[in-house]
Amino acid sequence: MNPVSIIQSIPSHVSRIGVIALHAFTQLVRMKVFYFLAFFAVILIASNFFNLPQHEGPEAAGVNILRSIKSWSLGAMTLFSVVLSIVATALLLPKDVEDRTLYTILAKPVPRIDYLAGKLLGVLLLVFISLLIMNLLMTGILQIRTNLLVTDQVAMAESRGWPAEDIALLKNDILAQGPTFSLQGAVFSVFLRATIIASMALLISTFSSSTLFTTIIAFLIYFIGHFQADARAAYFADQAGTSDGWISKLITLLIALVLPDFQLFNVIDAVIEGQVMPLFILGKLTLIGLFYVVFYILASWFVFAEKEF
Amino acid sequence: MRIAQWKKHVIVGIGLLAMGALRLPFERQLTVELDEERLLPPKLEIMTGEKIGQTFSAVSLGGLRTLVATFLNLRAFSYFSEQQWANVDETFNMIVDLAPRTRYYWDTGSWHQAYNAASYYLYESDLPPLRRKLAWRESIEKGRDFLERGIRNNPKDPFLRERLGVLLSDSNKIAAFGDPAKSYQEAYDSYMDAVETGNARGYAKRAALYSLARVPGREKEALELALEIKDEQGRAMPTMLGLLYTLGFHQDPDQPVLELIDSIFPSREVAYEILGTQWLRTRDRFPVHGIAKALARLEKLLNVPEEKSILKQTPQAPMDPDDYFSRER
Repeated sequence: MNPVSIIQSIPSHVSRIGVIALHAFTQLVRMKVFYFLAFFAVILIASNFFNLPQHEGPEAAGVNILRSIKSWSLGAMTLFSVVLSIVATALLLPKDVEDRTLYTILAKPVPRIDYLAGKLLGVLLLVFISLLIMNLLMTGILQIRTNLLVTDQVAMAESRGWPAEDIALLKNDILAQGPTFSLQGAVFSVFLRATIIASMALLISTFSSSTLFTTIIAFLIYFIGHFQADARAAYFADQAGTSDGWISKLITLLIALVLPDFQLFNVIDAVIEGQVMPLFILGKLTLIGLFYVVFYILASWFVFAEKEF
Repeated sequence: MRIAQWKKHVIVGIGLLAMGALRLPFERQLTVELDEERLLPPKLEIMTGEKIGQTFSAVSLGGLRTLVATFLNLRAFSYFSEQQWANVDETFNMIVDLAPRTRYYWDTGSWHQAYNAASYYLYESDLPPLRRKLAWRESIEKGRDFLERGIRNNPKDPFLRERLGVLLSDSNKIAAFGDPAKSYQEAYDSYMDAVETGNARGYAKRAALYSLARVPGREKEALELALEIKDEQGRAMPTMLGLLYTLGFHQDPDQPVLELIDSIFPSREVAYEILGTQWLRTRDRFPVHGIAKALARLEKLLNVPEEKSILKQTPQAPMDPDDYFSRER
């Protein structure tokens, strides 16, 4: 195959991937996963409108409610995206085998990489749309609540005769806890993490024999992936001469090399606490996310390419 | 050529290792950068992990630390309502371990100990006086310790430094810290540290002055600071006017009192009101150099009847825990 024909075949690949992705998306929507959004809306409304007991010190500006909305929302987004990415991806291939859809598709001139990429894209589309809706809900409510808080607090400060600079500081303090660019970055990092998990689950499902196996292994890897950075640090600490022995060194190296570092995407907590996420950090997280996804898709294709059903 | 499935698995394994080797330096560097930007959550204390139990695994999954902290904050509220101060303390220690960059938790945790628990031991507890006194002192120290830890975790936050200044110079708490002069000195340092962050409220510098003015031997510096603030802020609060007088008098006790009063206060009536209040506020331990002399002159000039003389009123005694806790209830 020469380069010209490869380039010429790109539109047909894209179109096939698009059709399979839409099919996978529809398949998942029919499983009523969007019901979770109703649950999310209830959580959001509860965290915003129900008067949960709060300790407010004499100088508190009432910003804790904004932090509560963010932590409830991003916590729900994290849980939803992780569970959906693993379960939906683990389900797709076995379900196609069970329904015999897979045989119909593979009997046609559909390259297997198009099939895998389409399926993964379907799952990611679902996660993306869900996160988008959740994000819009969260940002909307956060904006309304922030505006109310700013109005209240500025009125209070003016009635007490605060100087203009102090009022500006108070306002900035409240706005930093409202909807910010960093908050959008945090939501995007939730999506990036879901993307890596889904593509990793796809790789596992290409050689696993059941949905349950894929789900359990993917959750285990996700869990251990949060300690990958610790293993890496331990390996490099060993290199610095504090070695406990070559076995521990080998184990930490293997964990560091094989497992993804999910700790990198834990910027959410810091953003909820009001830290600013610079754009270059988001860019680097996106790069590392893409690197994982491309590798996992290629590896999945390699395993799946000549697999017989 | 077909490759056997097991061989494919081996190749994928090798690919994973190679991919790991490629990304390792990048991820390592990114971790350092995230750490520098304070975007990575600090490691949990083992004790916190044990205490939050099953939730610990959920917390480890990431993105849920602040959510768990929110839940624990609700739990702490129940303990607060039931006045279980040891549980409030323990819960807030877990909360700040989970969310160490949230100023609110440090502030609230300290407030519960230094103000709410301390007031409970002061007024409501059924413990014997000596135990109550000890618990009162310990609660205030815990509140202070909490704020100091908060400051170490959030060095650029002016608010927590201001709160520490407030606590250290609080007339009702200062007896718990031992030497009041040392406490006012530390309060001054804390307020000035807040000012140096560049984001402190205008109040912080004035509060620093109010603390410094109460440190014996630093009157000259306090006067310089008072004049600096007056120039910067273009206005002077009543307490500051009173301090400008007493600190100015301390500099030169032989100067004519009325001239000094006229150079500081907008009118002699205002001077009488402000200096009179300062004279009676003995609980706040503000300096009173030359106030008696000024009040005597002003009362004569303003024709204040002798029976209404401020100098004849009994000022409130400073808060003395030894005296307070030995009283019969």
